[in-house]
Amino acid sequence: MASILKVDTITGVTTAGSIAVTGEGNSTTTNLQQGLVKAWARLDGTGTVGLDDSFNNSAATDVGTGNYGYNFTNVMNNANYHCSFAASCQMQIFSAATTAQARILCRDQNNSNEDVDQAFNSVNGDLA
Amino acid sequence: MASELRVNTLKDASGNNSIATSFVASGSAKCWVNFNGTSTAATRDSFNLSSLTDNATGDFTISFSSSFSNNDYTVGGTTRSPGVISGGGYQAPADSDSDQATGSLRAYTISLSSGSLSVADLSYCYPSLHGDLA
Repeated sequence: MASILKVDTITGVTTAGSIAVTGEGNSTTTNLQQGLVKAWARLDGTGTVGLDDSFNNSAATDVGTGNYGYNFTNVMNNANYHCSFAASCQMQIFSAATTAQARILCRDQNNSNEDVDQAFNSVNGDLA
Repeated sequence: MASELRVNTLKDASGNNSIATSFVASGSAKCWVNFNGTSTAATRDSFNLSSLTDNATGDFTISFSSSFSNNDYTVGGTTRSPGVISGGGYQAPADSDSDQATGSLRAYTISLSSGSLSVADLSYCYPSLHGDLA
Protein backbone atom coordinates (compact mmCIF):
# COMPACT_ATOMS: atom_id res chain seq x y z
CA MET A 1 0.00 0.00 0.00
CA ALA A 2 1.39 3.41 -0.91
CA SER A 3 1.92 5.73 2.04
CA ILE A 4 2.81 9.36 2.62
CA LEU A 5 4.39 10.75 5.76
CA LYS A 6 3.83 14.46 6.40
CA VAL A 7 6.31 15.82 8.87
CA ASP A 8 8.61 18.83 9.29
CA THR A 9 11.36 17.23 11.31
CA ILE A 10 12.66 13.68 11.53
CA THR A 11 14.56 12.76 14.68
CA GLY A 12 16.15 9.48 15.70
CA VAL A 13 14.79 7.68 18.76
CA THR A 14 18.00 6.27 20.24
CA THR A 15 20.20 9.12 19.01
CA ALA A 16 18.47 12.25 17.77
CA GLY A 17 21.00 12.87 14.98
CA SER A 18 21.20 9.30 13.70
CA ILE A 19 18.58 7.56 11.57
CA ALA A 20 19.17 4.32 9.64
CA VAL A 21 17.81 3.91 6.12
CA THR A 22 17.58 0.48 4.54
CA GLY A 23 19.93 0.11 1.58
CA GLU A 24 18.77 -0.64 -1.95
CA GLY A 25 19.71 -4.31 -1.66
CA ASN A 26 17.70 -4.68 1.55
CA SER A 27 20.53 -6.38 3.43
CA THR A 28 22.19 -3.42 5.10
CA THR A 29 21.46 0.09 6.29
CA THR A 30 23.03 3.49 5.71
CA ASN A 31 23.00 6.48 8.00
CA LEU A 32 20.60 9.15 6.76
CA GLN A 33 22.35 12.15 8.30
CA GLN A 34 25.86 11.12 7.26
CA GLY A 35 24.87 10.46 3.67
CA LEU A 36 23.04 13.69 3.05
CA VAL A 37 24.72 16.57 1.25
CA LYS A 38 24.89 19.41 3.76
CA ALA A 39 25.40 22.20 1.22
CA TRP A 40 25.57 22.63 -2.53
CA ALA A 41 25.79 25.64 -4.81
CA ARG A 42 26.28 26.87 -8.34
CA LEU A 43 28.28 30.07 -8.24
CA ASP A 44 28.64 32.69 -10.98
CA GLY A 45 32.17 34.04 -10.70
CA THR A 46 32.04 36.69 -13.43
CA GLY A 47 31.09 40.30 -12.81
CA THR A 48 29.44 40.57 -9.44
CA VAL A 49 30.00 37.17 -7.87
CA GLY A 50 26.82 35.50 -6.68
CA LEU A 51 24.96 32.24 -6.22
CA ASP A 52 22.77 31.04 -9.10
CA ASP A 53 21.19 28.39 -6.92
CA SER A 54 22.16 26.79 -3.66
CA PHE A 55 21.26 24.88 -0.52
CA ASN A 56 22.55 25.92 2.92
CA ASN A 57 24.68 28.67 1.39
CA SER A 58 24.03 32.24 2.57
CA ALA A 59 26.29 34.02 0.11
CA ALA A 60 29.29 33.80 -2.16
CA THR A 61 32.45 35.75 -1.39
CA ASP A 62 34.63 37.26 -4.11
CA VAL A 63 38.08 36.78 -2.60
CA GLY A 64 39.98 37.65 -5.79
CA THR A 65 40.32 36.57 -9.39
CA GLY A 66 39.14 32.96 -9.61
CA ASN A 67 39.06 32.80 -5.83
CA TYR A 68 35.64 32.23 -4.26
CA GLY A 69 34.17 31.45 -0.88
CA TYR A 70 30.96 29.49 -0.28
CA ASN A 71 29.47 30.71 3.02
CA PHE A 72 27.26 28.26 4.89
CA THR A 73 23.97 29.25 6.49
CA ASN A 74 24.22 26.47 9.05
CA VAL A 75 27.89 25.96 9.79
CA MET A 76 29.73 22.68 9.93
CA ASN A 77 30.79 21.03 13.18
CA ASN A 78 34.47 21.07 12.23
CA ALA A 79 36.70 21.83 9.26
CA ASN A 80 37.19 18.16 8.39
CA TYR A 81 34.19 17.97 6.12
CA HIS A 82 34.28 16.53 2.61
CA CYS A 83 33.95 18.85 -0.38
CA SER A 84 33.69 18.23 -4.13
CA PHE A 85 34.21 20.94 -6.74
CA ALA A 86 33.75 21.30 -10.47
CA ALA A 87 34.06 24.46 -12.53
CA SER A 88 34.40 25.72 -16.06
CA CYS A 89 38.16 26.01 -15.90
CA GLN A 90 41.22 23.82 -16.33
CA MET A 91 41.72 23.14 -12.64
CA GLN A 92 39.88 23.64 -9.38
CA ILE A 93 41.71 23.74 -6.07
CA PHE A 94 40.04 23.37 -2.70
CA SER A 95 42.15 26.09 -1.11
CA ALA A 96 40.76 26.49 2.41
CA ALA A 97 38.12 25.16 4.77
CA THR A 98 36.59 26.63 7.90
CA THR A 99 33.39 25.63 9.64
CA ALA A 100 31.66 28.59 7.99
CA GLN A 101 33.21 28.67 4.52
CA ALA A 102 34.75 26.49 1.81
CA ARG A 103 37.06 28.27 -0.60
CA ILE A 104 37.95 27.34 -4.18
CA LEU A 105 40.63 28.54 -6.59
CA CYS A 106 39.97 28.32 -10.33
CA ARG A 107 42.97 28.21 -12.65
CA ASP A 108 43.54 28.18 -16.39
CA GLN A 109 45.94 26.02 -18.40
CA ASN A 110 48.80 28.36 -17.51
CA ASN A 111 48.08 27.88 -13.81
CA SER A 112 46.86 31.47 -13.46
CA ASN A 113 43.75 32.32 -11.49
CA GLU A 114 40.74 32.82 -13.74
CA ASP A 115 37.15 33.97 -13.18
CA VAL A 116 34.59 31.39 -14.29
CA ASP A 117 30.91 31.43 -15.23
CA GLN A 118 30.08 28.35 -13.20
CA ALA A 119 31.65 26.84 -10.11
CA PHE A 120 29.86 23.98 -8.37
CA ASN A 121 30.40 22.54 -4.93
CA SER A 122 28.84 19.94 -2.67
CA VAL A 123 29.64 19.29 0.96
CA ASN A 124 29.32 16.18 3.13
CA GLY A 125 30.16 16.07 6.79
CA ASP A 126 28.81 16.92 10.22
CA LEU A 127 26.66 19.97 10.85
CA ALA A 128 27.22 21.87 14.10
CA MET B 1 12.59 2.20 21.96
CA ALA B 2 13.87 1.46 18.49
CA SER B 3 11.24 1.76 15.77
CA GLU B 4 10.91 1.23 12.04
CA LEU B 5 8.91 3.45 9.74
CA ARG B 6 7.80 2.14 6.34
CA VAL B 7 6.72 4.88 3.97
CA ASN B 8 6.92 5.64 0.25
CA THR B 9 6.85 9.44 0.28
CA LEU B 10 8.00 12.17 2.64
CA LYS B 11 6.36 15.60 2.76
CA ASP B 12 6.58 18.52 5.11
CA ALA B 13 3.67 19.11 7.48
CA SER B 14 2.05 21.46 4.96
CA GLY B 15 2.03 18.74 2.34
CA ASN B 16 4.76 20.37 0.25
CA ASN B 17 8.35 19.46 -0.65
CA SER B 18 7.44 15.90 -1.53
CA ILE B 19 10.20 13.38 -2.01
CA ALA B 20 10.04 9.63 -2.49
CA THR B 21 12.00 7.65 0.06
CA SER B 22 13.76 5.96 -2.87
CA PHE B 23 15.40 9.33 -3.59
CA VAL B 24 16.51 9.57 0.01
CA ALA B 25 18.15 6.15 -0.12
CA SER B 26 19.58 6.39 -3.65
CA GLY B 27 20.48 10.08 -3.46
CA SER B 28 22.55 9.88 -0.30
CA ALA B 29 26.31 9.47 -0.38
CA LYS B 30 27.19 5.93 0.63
CA CYS B 31 30.78 6.70 1.51
CA TRP B 32 32.94 9.81 1.84
CA VAL B 33 36.39 10.36 3.27
CA ASN B 34 38.62 13.27 4.16
CA PHE B 35 42.16 11.92 4.48
CA ASN B 36 45.77 13.01 4.53
CA GLY B 37 47.65 11.02 1.89
CA THR B 38 51.13 12.18 2.87
CA SER B 39 53.49 10.16 5.06
CA THR B 40 51.34 7.53 6.80
CA ALA B 41 47.87 8.00 5.33
CA ALA B 42 45.47 9.21 8.00
CA THR B 43 41.72 9.74 7.98
CA ARG B 44 40.39 13.03 9.35
CA ASP B 45 36.71 12.19 9.00
CA SER B 46 34.68 9.64 7.07
CA PHE B 47 31.41 7.81 6.57
CA ASN B 48 31.08 4.07 5.87
CA LEU B 49 34.84 3.58 5.86
CA SER B 50 36.28 0.47 7.50
CA SER B 51 39.92 1.12 6.59
CA LEU B 52 42.24 3.19 4.44
CA THR B 53 45.30 1.43 3.05
CA ASP B 54 48.36 3.26 1.75
CA ASN B 55 49.57 0.98 -1.08
CA ALA B 56 52.25 3.24 -2.51
CA THR B 57 52.80 6.87 -3.45
CA GLY B 58 49.43 8.33 -4.43
CA ASP B 59 47.88 4.84 -4.39
CA PHE B 60 45.22 4.07 -1.78
CA THR B 61 42.55 1.47 -1.07
CA ILE B 62 39.33 2.61 0.53
CA SER B 63 37.44 -0.27 2.18
CA PHE B 64 33.79 0.06 3.09
CA SER B 65 32.02 -0.98 6.29
CA SER B 66 28.87 -1.79 4.30
CA SER B 67 29.53 -3.07 0.78
CA PHE B 68 27.90 -1.98 -2.45
CA SER B 69 25.58 -4.38 -4.30
CA ASN B 70 27.68 -4.04 -7.47
CA ASN B 71 30.78 -2.23 -8.72
CA ASP B 72 28.88 0.27 -10.84
CA TYR B 73 28.85 2.99 -8.18
CA THR B 74 30.06 6.47 -9.04
CA VAL B 75 33.17 8.13 -7.67
CA GLY B 76 33.72 11.84 -7.35
CA GLY B 77 35.91 14.04 -5.30
CA THR B 78 38.49 16.73 -4.94
CA THR B 79 42.03 16.97 -3.71
CA ARG B 80 44.16 19.83 -2.53
CA SER B 81 47.74 20.06 -1.47
CA PRO B 82 48.91 23.42 -0.18
CA GLY B 83 52.54 22.36 -0.54
CA VAL B 84 52.26 21.84 -4.29
CA ILE B 85 53.34 25.11 -5.85
CA SER B 86 52.07 25.86 -9.35
CA GLY B 87 49.86 22.83 -9.25
CA GLY B 88 46.92 21.19 -7.68
CA GLY B 89 45.42 17.79 -7.95
CA TYR B 90 42.50 15.65 -8.82
CA GLN B 91 41.41 12.16 -8.13
CA ALA B 92 41.42 9.34 -10.64
CA PRO B 93 38.50 7.13 -9.64
CA ALA B 94 40.12 3.83 -10.51
CA ASP B 95 42.73 2.48 -12.87
CA SER B 96 40.61 -0.40 -14.13
CA ASP B 97 37.39 -2.26 -13.39
CA SER B 98 39.27 -4.58 -11.06
CA ASP B 99 40.16 -1.62 -8.87
CA GLN B 100 36.50 -0.91 -8.24
CA ALA B 101 35.04 -3.72 -6.13
CA THR B 102 31.89 -3.96 -4.03
CA GLY B 103 33.87 -3.86 -0.80
CA SER B 104 36.65 -1.49 -1.70
CA LEU B 105 37.96 1.06 -4.17
CA ARG B 106 41.56 1.52 -5.21
CA ALA B 107 42.08 5.17 -6.04
CA TYR B 108 44.98 7.34 -7.08
CA THR B 109 45.80 10.95 -6.36
CA ILE B 110 47.54 12.90 -9.08
CA SER B 111 49.47 16.13 -9.00
CA LEU B 112 49.62 18.64 -11.82
CA SER B 113 52.78 20.66 -11.75
CA SER B 114 54.17 22.75 -14.59
CA GLY B 115 51.89 20.94 -17.02
CA SER B 116 53.00 17.44 -15.99
CA LEU B 117 50.81 14.86 -14.32
CA SER B 118 52.24 12.47 -11.77
CA VAL B 119 50.87 10.12 -9.13
CA ALA B 120 51.60 11.83 -5.84
CA ASP B 121 50.69 11.88 -2.17
CA LEU B 122 48.47 14.87 -1.44
CA SER B 123 47.62 16.24 1.96
CA TYR B 124 43.88 16.69 1.47
CA CYS B 125 41.92 14.01 -0.42
CA TYR B 126 38.12 13.94 -0.63
CA PRO B 127 36.62 10.93 -2.46
CA SER B 128 32.83 10.44 -2.37
CA LEU B 129 30.76 7.52 -3.66
CA HIS B 130 27.15 7.11 -4.69
CA GLY B 131 25.37 3.91 -5.67
CA ASP B 132 23.41 0.95 -4.33
CA LEU B 133 24.32 -0.74 -1.08
CA ALA B 134 24.08 -4.51 -0.79
